[in-house]
Amino acid sequence: MKNIITLFSFILIITSCDVVEGPYEIDTGDVTPTDTNTYVKKILIEDFTGHTCSNCPTAARELEAIHDLYGDQIIGMALHVSSFAAPHTGSGKFEYDFRTQWGNSWSNFFGISALPSGMVNRIGYPNEHKLGKDEWLAAAITELEKEIDFGISIISDVNGDNGTITINTELLNDVNGDYKLVVCLTESNIINWQKDGTEDVENYEHNHALRTVLIDESLSTTTSYTLGDEIETPITFNLITLEQANIDYSTSQGGAGNAGGWDASNMSVIAYIYDNTTKEIVQVEESHLNN
Amino acid sequence: MMRKISLTLTAACLTIICFAQDNSGEFHGDFDLNMQSYQKDALIGAEAADEIILNNAYLNINYTKGDFSAGLRYESYLNALLDFDDEYKGNGIMFRYATYTIDGLEVTAGNYYEQIGSGLIFRSYENKGLGQDNAMDGVRLKYRPLKGVYLKGFIGKSRTYFTYSDGIIRGADAEINVNEALNLESKTRIIVGQGFVSRFQADINPKLLLPQNVAAYSSRLNIINGGWNYSGEYAIKLNDPAGSATAEENNYANGNALMSSLTYSQRGFGIVAEMHRVDHMEFRSERAQEKQYIINYIPTLTKQHTYTLLALYPCATQPEGEFGTQVDVFYKIKKGSLLGGKYGTKISFNFSRINALNGGNSFLNDNSEHTPMFISIKGEELYFRDLNLEIYKKINKKIKATGILAKQSYNKDVLEGKTTYGTVESTIAIADISYKIKKGHTIRIELQELLADGGDGSWSMGLVEYTVSPHWFFAVQDMYNWGNHDLEKQLHYVNIDCGFLSGSNRFAIGYGKKRAGIFCVGGVCKEVPSSNGFSLTISSSF
Repeated sequence: MKNIITLFSFILIITSCDVVEGPYEIDTGDVTPTDTNTYVKKILIEDFTGHTCSNCPTAARELEAIHDLYGDQIIGMALHVSSFAAPHTGSGKFEYDFRTQWGNSWSNFFGISALPSGMVNRIGYPNEHKLGKDEWLAAAITELEKEIDFGISIISDVNGDNGTITINTELLNDVNGDYKLVVCLTESNIINWQKDGTEDVENYEHNHALRTVLIDESLSTTTSYTLGDEIETPITFNLITLEQANIDYSTSQGGAGNAGGWDASNMSVIAYIYDNTTKEIVQVEESHLNN
Repeated sequence: MMRKISLTLTAACLTIICFAQDNSGEFHGDFDLNMQSYQKDALIGAEAADEIILNNAYLNINYTKGDFSAGLRYESYLNALLDFDDEYKGNGIMFRYATYTIDGLEVTAGNYYEQIGSGLIFRSYENKGLGQDNAMDGVRLKYRPLKGVYLKGFIGKSRTYFTYSDGIIRGADAEINVNEALNLESKTRIIVGQGFVSRFQADINPKLLLPQNVAAYSSRLNIINGGWNYSGEYAIKLNDPAGSATAEENNYANGNALMSSLTYSQRGFGIVAEMHRVDHMEFRSERAQEKQYIINYIPTLTKQHTYTLLALYPCATQPEGEFGTQVDVFYKIKKGSLLGGKYGTKISFNFSRINALNGGNSFLNDNSEHTPMFISIKGEELYFRDLNLEIYKKINKKIKATGILAKQSYNKDVLEGKTTYGTVESTIAIADISYKIKKGHTIRIELQELLADGGDGSWSMGLVEYTVSPHWFFAVQDMYNWGNHDLEKQLHYVNIDCGFLSGSNRFAIGYGKKRAGIFCVGGVCKEVPSSNGFSLTISSSF
């Protein structure tokens, strides 16, 4: 009898497998456009990358694939960090300097030690926030199911090199906590060198590259928010000044200051609110700079 | 929930240990501390640590009484040494277990390490040097229903740093010693084994069909007759895509691995001929293709060198695809012969060669399919080759000497995941001479030379070690990268170490520079950053 039980136990374990037959891809149809009249949960995926990181383009493609699934609810940001982002001045390749002081600062704070690596709304901090690209989708799906407490809208007005951005935050629930607001500019469609596997690609399209951080400050002076509260945060800026700051940073980091050439027509504003205790990004919004 | 269970089990272990103090069981334990200071050194690329000093420490305590045992391990990373992943952070009891055996059934609850066969489909183990610990947390049963029949089954989750991965791992293994089971009185002994492992992880991917239960199984055979020993294992892993949103990154092909080893040995002579072929066999506790989730092990087919310059370019096993062969010959020239002299002479010859699979590893998705040829060597990308000859000679009662000549090819791009370095061809010579000055006093000198054009170029190394048995040792070593093509990097890496042993305690302090490089144990490797600073190591056991 005991041998039959033993045998039965083994068969039970050995039958624990699935074999999936193709086609493997499911037709998910077109993404339903985000309803702009109501606030929906949005996710920020921060992609730590570098132009000489040969595996990093697979992470960039994963970010685009997740965006294709969930449309505007997925917002990407590429942060060029580490020695993989260092410019190779005079080599004819990889000479551009995508690095920023904020990218390096966040990389150090969050302990990014290998590329590609990413964070999905910074969930899991301090021990489980660094995610490989294959883990982003599952984390994003979990995040998308969360209720939102904050609604963010962005109004930007750019005239030449000068601009004003107004961030309007609306409370959708009663909330207590220490929340901070970050507003960044990113740029897409930057054509420059990138290692992709074994290839050095000259005309690689770099998207969502972090250019600058306009503010990183407390959302308000209170830590107790009430449903219906509205907070307006106006920001003024000059693109030439911001661009020069990046050029100066490049020089200070041993680069050649080859960090300019910004194109405002390809830039976006990303505004997000994070819990300063858990570091979790609770809501994020993106809008074209020239909206 | 997991945390509550963990705390409960830990409390149970502690209670048992406290209770046991009044009983006649035995306590055993060991302690390790590794402390290192980190100074900035721009020349070697070493970074300073904000904390100045980093520290890893471990304490194991085990209690045994009869067929019962329980224990725990306290780990402390404040903060982890720089060559460890910084997700090892803080303190905690990360290993605790209780086990008992009754009427042939062994029951373990809590943490355990386990392996099926040679590890092709499952290996849970820890190695502090590698920063590797994928201990299981769950239950395990071992049972011997009949003479010569050994069964084991387990279920649990695999440790990842200070937490456990999402996947639930189930495994079973049956091993039959045919001679024992059938009461055969034969000179030929046969042992067969069959293992199975399955991982459950829910499928929430909206774009792809994913298997929720991914299985791997292996069959093994061991035949022993006199000096002959054949060992073989074949494993298959069923469809195991990464689960990412990028369809092209998901590989639905089955993986497989074959290992085969034939050994002959007699007094003073031994020969081992081995081969293995590995195709898409990385098995993880979660779908994501991240190294911290790996739960299987592909044994390396290359010689594990201990001399620094011989191990400068070590071979990292490529679980996603490689074909390798190795021949290892040992011969002892008899005492009293012309070449053997008064004490005899030991000669070891080793050759290993690892190359890529034809066209890469197996791949299958909706748009492409590839299955590499089973055996293909000529024309395939070379990953690693090592040809070495070692001679050991005891010259007289005071002097022993070892000499090694080796020629290695190291595909740095593949083995380190780089893209522009190509293959480093190196020629290495080692001389190791030990001289016993007087009773308890021994001096040992190592001279090493590595000649290479690629990589960091050529190196020389010298080491002098003085041992005063049984308490003291002192060592000074210098690695000099005189052949680096970058003149600014033609640097000396000097290290000074001193140690004191007293009973079960060992203390060692050191100071010096370490180069950035690759550190491997059994084909499992990690990148080590350069460093400059003091080190303190304390180990103790009771």
